[in-house]
Amino acid sequence: MSPIWLVATDEWRFWLRSHIAIGGMAVFLVLIITTSLLAALRIEAETYARINQQDEAEKTFLTQPDRHPHRMVHYGHYLFRTPAPLAQFDPGLDLITGQAIFLEGHRQNTAMFAESTASADFGGLSWLSPALVYQLFAPLLIILFGHGSIARERETAVLSSLLAMGITGRKVIAGKTLALLSMAFLLLLPLIGSGALALSASEPVSSVFLLFGLYFAYLATWVVLTLMASVVLKERSAVLGVMAGLWLALALVLPSVAVNVASNTVSAAGKIASDLVMLADLQELGDGHNAKDPAFKRLRADLLQEYGVEGVEDLPMNFRGVVAMESEKKLTDVLNEYADARMHAEIAQEKVVAKFGWLSPVLAVARASRAIAGTDLANYHHFQRMAEAVRFDFVQGLNHAHVHQLSYRDDINRNRDEDARLRARVDASNWRVLDAFRFQAVSVSERFGNASSAVYMLMAWLVIMLAILFWRGDKLTP
Amino acid sequence: MMLQADSLHVARSGKEVLSGISFSVDAYEVYALLGGNGAGKSTTLLSFLGFLSPTAGSVLVKHTDVYSDIAAARKAIAYLPESASLYEHLTAQENIAYFLQLAGMSASSPAIDAALDRVALSPNARRRKVGGYSKGMRQKTAIALAMLRDTDILLLDEPTSGLDPNAIDEFHQTIRSVADSGKAVLMVTHDVYGACHAADKIGMLQGGKLKGEFAAEGHGIDIEAVRKAFSATVVPS
Ligand SMILES: Nc1ncnc2c1ncn2[C@@H]1O[C@H](COP(=O)(O)OP(=O)(O)OP(=O)(O)O)[C@@H](O)[C@H]1O
Ligand SMILES: [Mg+2]
Repeated sequence: MSPIWLVATDEWRFWLRSHIAIGGMAVFLVLIITTSLLAALRIEAETYARINQQDEAEKTFLTQPDRHPHRMVHYGHYLFRTPAPLAQFDPGLDLITGQAIFLEGHRQNTAMFAESTASADFGGLSWLSPALVYQLFAPLLIILFGHGSIARERETAVLSSLLAMGITGRKVIAGKTLALLSMAFLLLLPLIGSGALALSASEPVSSVFLLFGLYFAYLATWVVLTLMASVVLKERSAVLGVMAGLWLALALVLPSVAVNVASNTVSAAGKIASDLVMLADLQELGDGHNAKDPAFKRLRADLLQEYGVEGVEDLPMNFRGVVAMESEKKLTDVLNEYADARMHAEIAQEKVVAKFGWLSPVLAVARASRAIAGTDLANYHHFQRMAEAVRFDFVQGLNHAHVHQLSYRDDINRNRDEDARLRARVDASNWRVLDAFRFQAVSVSERFGNASSAVYMLMAWLVIMLAILFWRGDKLTP
Repeated sequence: MMLQADSLHVARSGKEVLSGISFSVDAYEVYALLGGNGAGKSTTLLSFLGFLSPTAGSVLVKHTDVYSDIAAARKAIAYLPESASLYEHLTAQENIAYFLQLAGMSASSPAIDAALDRVALSPNARRRKVGGYSKGMRQKTAIALAMLRDTDILLLDEPTSGLDPNAIDEFHQTIRSVADSGKAVLMVTHDVYGACHAADKIGMLQGGKLKGEFAAEGHGIDIEAVRKAFSATVVPS
């Protein structure tokens, strides 16, 4: 048997005989398995609830009686975002972004938090996701298991016996690395459970694989860091102290520094401030409810000329509907411009935070994990864009009915009496402008693309640290 | 010649601790290094293992300069460190089996048991983890391991420290038979009488210098002469 393999199996024997190691492992397993189960239940309940709410919203809209089409534009509609299958592993931004958007004419609403049933809430522990357990607690377990690997043997002088037998430092370190990596692999087995559940929710197997590989590389980075400390420092207590400090710095301090730096360097204008500016812009477009607004003078003149008629009442379509349609289009262009600017600012902030991944593997893995799971900013923007597309289509669909199914004369006389009101209605079959909506997370290839830079950062961490460890391991001294 | 030091100079932490010592150990020979604390005995052993490179002079193992092929030197040597270094989470049996496997040797339980019998480690203790052993029990285990390594050369740093008188006698007999089977033994000791009893040659080390060598002639080494020389080295001059 090769010395590397022998050293690795002996390390396992040591752990299996150590109460601290077994206790630590047991606590971790309980933690990861309960969080995984709770998260899976929560996501299932949530998916079910969102689909129900979506169906309910569509049914309510479709069963509205005959009406004036513009009343339906203001009646509005709801869109619900079902969680991505891997959200049960890493809910990412889902925890702080809304899942429901109210769609209506002339405005883009922000997403709200859809009501969740009490059973899906689990006492407010939903922030403790399996991903977070792996990102924050698994490194602690690796430090617990690995801090003594070399330092312990140095303290009891067996290291000098090993070296005196002609076992090279590199082989000893390789054996310890192998043991700790196999341990990291075991820690990740519950992730396969979460992944299997996601697969049954039609998540492609490639993303589950990538997620597993990502966390393995992340834990491997901690393995190498811990071993490095154990090689360089003389005593176990020193290794523990240094690694605990490093964990604090990489897992807690740097992430909050990164967020602070991002919000200070990239100013995303506050929602209220930018809304005020936007309102001013929108006012210049004219009021789409008022066909006599001077803003539509040009439109009127063009149409009259095109059809060679004297007044709008002679046009073969409802001019009020045309105005509604035209104004919705212009208004949407402006709204989208502001929405794009806001998204860009958010992306710019995220990029600043992302750069800190070069300093902290915790930040790198967190970003890559969200991206692969489909719970990152890109996915949230994807939902907002999807919702806006649906909003624009259904509003313009109703406006189309307004233009072609309701005469101008009936329309302007709609408030004269009850009969006139009834005449100014279109058939409820026109409400079928809605397609059944199911939210789809961004495609796998796009998600991998979003994750790539963070994956490279993590790989750089791992490769550089591994190289230093084995270079230093050549000079291992008793 | 199995071991040879040639005007060996070694410095530790910038301070010279060996100042030009020369001696050699042949096969079939037990060589004992005597000297007071800090004389440089352990340092001499570590130099043969390639842990401390000489500032001048050389150390040879089987005619080859140690520092030109450290791995070869280490493979030829079984080393018993000053404080028996064993894995606390393993029993004596497991410790020996593990080290032997690491050395690329097969480790059969009967062979290990036989070796532990020879050092008289109680069968009761063999099933317990080394973490609960006394100093002497650890020392016995380490000696058994060094014997089982079956290398051409043994470097033993104070092998009898912690052993009871019976075990010391037993050890000296063992060492003798090991050397008689063609191996070279270099051991460090503070035990003048034991050294005279078991060794073929004694080197007296003081302040990093070899102050004299005593060889067995006819009826062994002249104990009185060694004792006198030893007292002289440990009295501060
Ligand atoms: N790790 C070390 N770093 C620096 N100097 C050391 C180290 N170990 C020993 N020395 C120094 O080297 C000199 C020789 O030490 P050495 O251990 O060889 O003595 P020794 O003869 O084995 O003594 P003892 O009988 O106490 O075991 C001493 O002066 C000691 O201070
Ligand atoms: Mg010594």
